[in-house]
Amino acid sequence: MYPEKSQSEGMTGKSASFSLSFSFSGLWKMIGFLLIILFFVLPVFRLIIISMTEEDAFTLSHYSDVFRDIETWITVKNTLFIVFGSTVVSLILGIAMAWIIAYVNIKRKKWMQLFIFLPFIIPSYITTIAWVQFFSSSGPAAAILNLVPGEWPAPNLYSMGGIIFVLGLSHYPLVYLMTVNVLKKIPPELAQAAQTSGGRKTLIFRKIIFPLALPGVASGGLLAFLSNLDNFGIPAFLGIPANIRVLSTYIYEQVIGFGPSAFAKAAVLSVLLGMIALTGTFLQWLLLKRSRVIETVKNDDKPRVHLPKAKRRCVEGIVWVFLLFTSFVPLLSMGATSLIKAYGLPFKPENLSLKNYQYLLFSDPKAISAVSNSLKLAVLTVSLSLILGTALAYIRYKQPNRWTKAIEMFVTVPYALPGTVFALCIIFAWMQPLPGWNPGVYGTIWIVMLAYFTRFLVLQVRGSYTALTQVDSTMEEAARISGATAVVKWRKILLPLLLPGIIGGALLVFLTALTELTVSSLLWSAGSETIGVVIFNYEQAGFTTYSTAFSCLIVLAILIGGLAFIVLEKFWLRKVMKQNDPA
Amino acid sequence: MRKWFAFLSILTLIFVFAACGNSNSTSSNGQEGSPDSSDSGSSKTTISGELHFYTSQPDEDAQRLVQAFNEKYPDVKVYTFRSGTEEVIAKIKAEQEGGNIQADVLLVADAVTFESLKNENLLLSYRSKEADQIPEKFVDGDGMYTGTKVMATVLAYNTNKVKNAPDSWLALTESGSKGNSIMPSPFYSGAAAYNLGIFVRQETFGWDFYKKLKGNEMAVAQGNGAVLKSVASGEKSYGVIVDYLAARAKKEGSPMELVYPKEGVPVITEPIAIMKGTKNEEAAKAFVDFVLSEEGQKLAAELGYTPIRKGVEAPEGLKTIDEMKVIDADINELYQAREEDKTKFGEIFGKQQ
Repeated sequence: MYPEKSQSEGMTGKSASFSLSFSFSGLWKMIGFLLIILFFVLPVFRLIIISMTEEDAFTLSHYSDVFRDIETWITVKNTLFIVFGSTVVSLILGIAMAWIIAYVNIKRKKWMQLFIFLPFIIPSYITTIAWVQFFSSSGPAAAILNLVPGEWPAPNLYSMGGIIFVLGLSHYPLVYLMTVNVLKKIPPELAQAAQTSGGRKTLIFRKIIFPLALPGVASGGLLAFLSNLDNFGIPAFLGIPANIRVLSTYIYEQVIGFGPSAFAKAAVLSVLLGMIALTGTFLQWLLLKRSRVIETVKNDDKPRVHLPKAKRRCVEGIVWVFLLFTSFVPLLSMGATSLIKAYGLPFKPENLSLKNYQYLLFSDPKAISAVSNSLKLAVLTVSLSLILGTALAYIRYKQPNRWTKAIEMFVTVPYALPGTVFALCIIFAWMQPLPGWNPGVYGTIWIVMLAYFTRFLVLQVRGSYTALTQVDSTMEEAARISGATAVVKWRKILLPLLLPGIIGGALLVFLTALTELTVSSLLWSAGSETIGVVIFNYEQAGFTTYSTAFSCLIVLAILIGGLAFIVLEKFWLRKVMKQNDPA
Repeated sequence: MRKWFAFLSILTLIFVFAACGNSNSTSSNGQEGSPDSSDSGSSKTTISGELHFYTSQPDEDAQRLVQAFNEKYPDVKVYTFRSGTEEVIAKIKAEQEGGNIQADVLLVADAVTFESLKNENLLLSYRSKEADQIPEKFVDGDGMYTGTKVMATVLAYNTNKVKNAPDSWLALTESGSKGNSIMPSPFYSGAAAYNLGIFVRQETFGWDFYKKLKGNEMAVAQGNGAVLKSVASGEKSYGVIVDYLAARAKKEGSPMELVYPKEGVPVITEPIAIMKGTKNEEAAKAFVDFVLSEEGQKLAAELGYTPIRKGVEAPEGLKTIDEMKVIDADINELYQAREEDKTKFGEIFGKQQ
């Protein structure tokens, strides 16, 4: 089943095997491309138009105004610094975690995996507050530092470093998820061979593992980069008191500003931000050029680095301490706040009660209906993205030409724009997509669905694409030569091999859609409130204890769902793999 | 391969049509609702149709308001959109850009925001008969918008940290509060920008006050919510915050107290207005009347706000409008100077590094 060798052209694989049975294929291609333009380009295009018009006439004056303002360049510089720094943090943590989970013989990996996702699920305002409390002058960090000899002031989170730290921690799960399956797919024989020939471990990692893992690292890095770029909550909370602006917060300032040019200025800055996002995509393409596929293997879950018991315990300890800090600290602070009667009271028995939970579960029907709305939206978004995203990834992978590259760029930008701007774009675009055509989605739950789909599709595309780069084209050729139809080819060969990667992407889409806040807060309509909207509403009304309790319930539900998922995945993989494995 | 494109296209088309099919009914209803006013001649007492209500009130309060309104006008179907003031306005502007403002009635934080909409010619002039019972300075001279409640910005403090209650805004510039106070940023909160405009136009304060605040290491946060958390948790001891949030937290048991400083307090009035392009003018007017009526104002008090109508009691813990010393300034001037004020504030509170 596994070919011995393969051509190194797997990436640029023009040797694809398709059956060209459709005579109108050119037409279909056109329609497909136009639909992508309609969904992904039109909203952004309206934004660009706004940035170039004044009273219905073409002008570049908004650009010259913005570019002449020194504030713009300071903001861009801060943004680049913060985004670059936090992406590096995410990359280091994500790759290290992925390597340990994929290769080292430590125990309870599934549990670790579950906790790795927590920083990604817990709303960023909770994570941020938890870290601020942790590092505050009366917090645990200061207490620990006091024990250490010498003068060690607790680090100030209201700073560039603080923003980088919290952003990097919040988004490393993206890198982890994209990398871990790729690492598992690297044939263990390779490293073993190198080791027998006397290669040192660091050399093996640099020369063999890393180049092979590049598709995953690049995808994860790009997603982390985009997430750091569009994030508003963390730089707003930590940056405003420190007088640090990044593009996302600066754009928000413009959007809420008065005067006719406020929107136009925001649009110009959004275009600038879009450019930065596209630069990230280009960098990722450059990286991918250096990656290789050697041969196709299914995931190999067996540990490859066998540590002696003492060392293993040590590594396990380090991982758990890390997870304890990054996941449990926010979780605990969240849990503690949710049990307190009123915000600000000390955590003592007499101040604790379950009244917040009682209110959510029995008094406010909104909470329950929001969960059901968000679940429906997330499931629909995932189903659509799963099919369309994987199809797009497949087309992009099989035909790496100008058109498919353009498509990749088109689906990337909606994810990179700050949520507020993206939601506004969706409104411009879908009230009247084409002159005279009002599809009537605006003001219904469908607009939220459409926004989620447009915004999060890239997560699925990246997940599926990364998985595809691990399957080289000989697999498909073999299928074709043996006379397999397209359906059989996918069901029996491609899907089982791609599944972990595709599921990884779908998981990201699902979790992001489930807890999305900013976009929904502008697009929801009565009866379609989502989890994010309800949390936002509680927060704004001053009910922090309710919003935290609600977040707790959501995270708990996701954890339980995660456990169920682990069990199901095990079961499914065992079954599918058995069916497909002749051996 | 091309099959994939075909498959992809069909799926997407299905999605588009599904989305359209599902909602066509509602959107066409909305459009047919426009000749409502012509029907009203025949049946004067029944006001009906759809009403799109955009607001920044907390969700629960907006719901209670709509419920109470529906008890009186059961045939009006009210669709509420709730978000922060800034988000609501951005949404309306985007709808305008998209060619069709959906909102019929708008209720958001401060008069200056409405002044900006008035200047962009987006509001409908309507002077409710109920407006006679409301202090003249809270009713727009052209009848474009009317205040609905009184929310003062007050000085709040953490009772665990502060033992002697302050009575003046100047407490924030004294050494006792150095590095220990926080306020919302005028760049991110419309209400905070309003307060800035008011303070700098008072003789007692002026820009000098803000320079002293900066000198006293006043921290700036995104909005009132962030200030509330910071003061309630004791991260900061003093906060500049809208009164109802502080009063509510205090009532729940958070260790904080609020004072109305002796120099007076800036108030925002959560005005209400009808959008010019409304498709259901009659229902919109009925809604505005209801909010300003004695019944509507009693509801506001019940929900924990100081009512704006004369003769309606304020809820416990808050002052009534007669008991407050209000500091204010000309709304149009505040509107004109808003961006300039923000820039000046930015210069004092430091350009970014």
